[in-house]
Amino acid sequence: MEYIVRTENLSKHFGKEKAVSGLEMKIPKGEIYGFLGPNGAGKTTTIRMLLGLMKPDSGRIEIFQKDLKKERLNILGRVGSLVESPSYYPHLTAKENLEAMRKILGVPKQRIAEVLEIVRLTDACDKKVKGFSLGMKQRLGIAASLLNNPELLILDEPTNGLDPSGIIEIRNLIKSLPSECGMTVLISSHLLSEIDQMATTVGIVTKGKMIFQDSIEAMRMFSQQSVLLKVSESDKAWRSLLGRGMKAGLDSGIISLPQQSDEQVAEAVRGLVADGFSVYRVEEEKRSLEDIFLQMTREEQAG
Amino acid sequence: MMGKLLAAEFMKIKRKGIWFLTVLGPIGVVAMQMVNYGVRKDYLFGQNDDRWGYYLDNIHSFTPLAIVLGIVILTSFMSSIENETNAWKQLIALPVSKMSVYLSKFTVLSILLLTSSVLLMLFTMAFGLFLDLGGEIPYTGLLKYSFYPFFAALPVLALQLWIATVSVNQGVPITLGILGVILTYAGFTLPDWLIWKWPLLLNEWNEPLINVLLGIGAGVLLYTAGMIDFARRDVK
Repeated sequence: MEYIVRTENLSKHFGKEKAVSGLEMKIPKGEIYGFLGPNGAGKTTTIRMLLGLMKPDSGRIEIFQKDLKKERLNILGRVGSLVESPSYYPHLTAKENLEAMRKILGVPKQRIAEVLEIVRLTDACDKKVKGFSLGMKQRLGIAASLLNNPELLILDEPTNGLDPSGIIEIRNLIKSLPSECGMTVLISSHLLSEIDQMATTVGIVTKGKMIFQDSIEAMRMFSQQSVLLKVSESDKAWRSLLGRGMKAGLDSGIISLPQQSDEQVAEAVRGLVADGFSVYRVEEEKRSLEDIFLQMTREEQAG
Repeated sequence: MMGKLLAAEFMKIKRKGIWFLTVLGPIGVVAMQMVNYGVRKDYLFGQNDDRWGYYLDNIHSFTPLAIVLGIVILTSFMSSIENETNAWKQLIALPVSKMSVYLSKFTVLSILLLTSSVLLMLFTMAFGLFLDLGGEIPYTGLLKYSFYPFFAALPVLALQLWIATVSVNQGVPITLGILGVILTYAGFTLPDWLIWKWPLLLNEWNEPLINVLLGIGAGVLLYTAGMIDFARRDVK
């Protein structure tokens, strides 16, 4: 598979604290890669290293199959980015802000009007950014990241400070980028729901380590529901189910039946009743992606 | 790459009052002499037969202060442009090398200070002519007094830019700047090796050109050190 971004054993520490350790990130071409992790997990540090803003202590970064250390300028010319809180020059207008960047990037002038249109800032383009709301500044940041029509777009928490309709707009924009412009997108967030609605591939990082990296479908597999049974004499009941050749788990007096069809659940209940156990409750447990995410990050912290 | 960066830098200093200060500096220096000569013209004319030379000396008594103060204010303005919303991260993530970013900042500051120097020369000459000092206009002296202080102040510029770009707390460069202005003010009594004394164009050999050459030499050294340090650091 062609990887747009690939890191090998990437590490960075600040003083004694390890911000990123041994991170292996792989972003296939044309994907929207959701980079997920709790606050302080090392997402922004990783992104800063990808952009050459910080030098890794060890490890390698390849973008477009080229070594970032050797071909930084060449690579950055094809990357657009928005890192953390938006940066801007408050005394300049939105247009002038983009113009200052455009001069360096060397793209045609009309591109400014195009990106302003994309983020719906055309009406405010001659106002000083000083007076913009956080959401407008964020949009300006996104506009700036699109200026050079990048092949790889890196957005760090892009929906920060946007109102709900703004979030949906930006989400739709990001979703459309891979198919319409052939972009690969790396988007970081600490909100799983955000990533869930956009990403096609997910990487979960906590304490500077990548603990999960696969397609979003693979992650959803974890979230399949199970049926919980509360019965009398749960220990014996569990054994009797196992005796009938069924998959079942026992956790603090509650029997769980993972991934069973309706028919199989009915059969299990029938069996338990036939064996003389009282069935008090039959519940379905739905684990949201949120639960899985929390569980994953918690396990890592405990270990 | 430098051309593009410079174009962007000049765009960014718009509406910051930076050009205003660039013009205000030389006006201020000459205005001091307007007051001086306005109040006691006859007395001053009687002090020295070389009226032009004496007038230039008077002008020069304020130039070093103005240039060191100007450097402190301009460098602090320049770095505030990027520091205010931490635009460094956006700028450095563009396809530009960190060294050329640093060079572009230094170049813009040099151009601004040179503009001030040119204006100082013009204003000095204009007021000199207005005073009707008589005799030949001493063009060599005029050039020396207008441009030597800039070159002699290059180490101060390099040092201030370095400190201002790498300091998270802008109190640090401002404190150093104020200290520098005081040192320049007290320069007459200080040893020759202090860079803040150099714009006074005084040294024990009585040769201003030494200060110019020292300024360029030490300026290049401090500039290089600052640039390497800036390129080496992680962008916050």
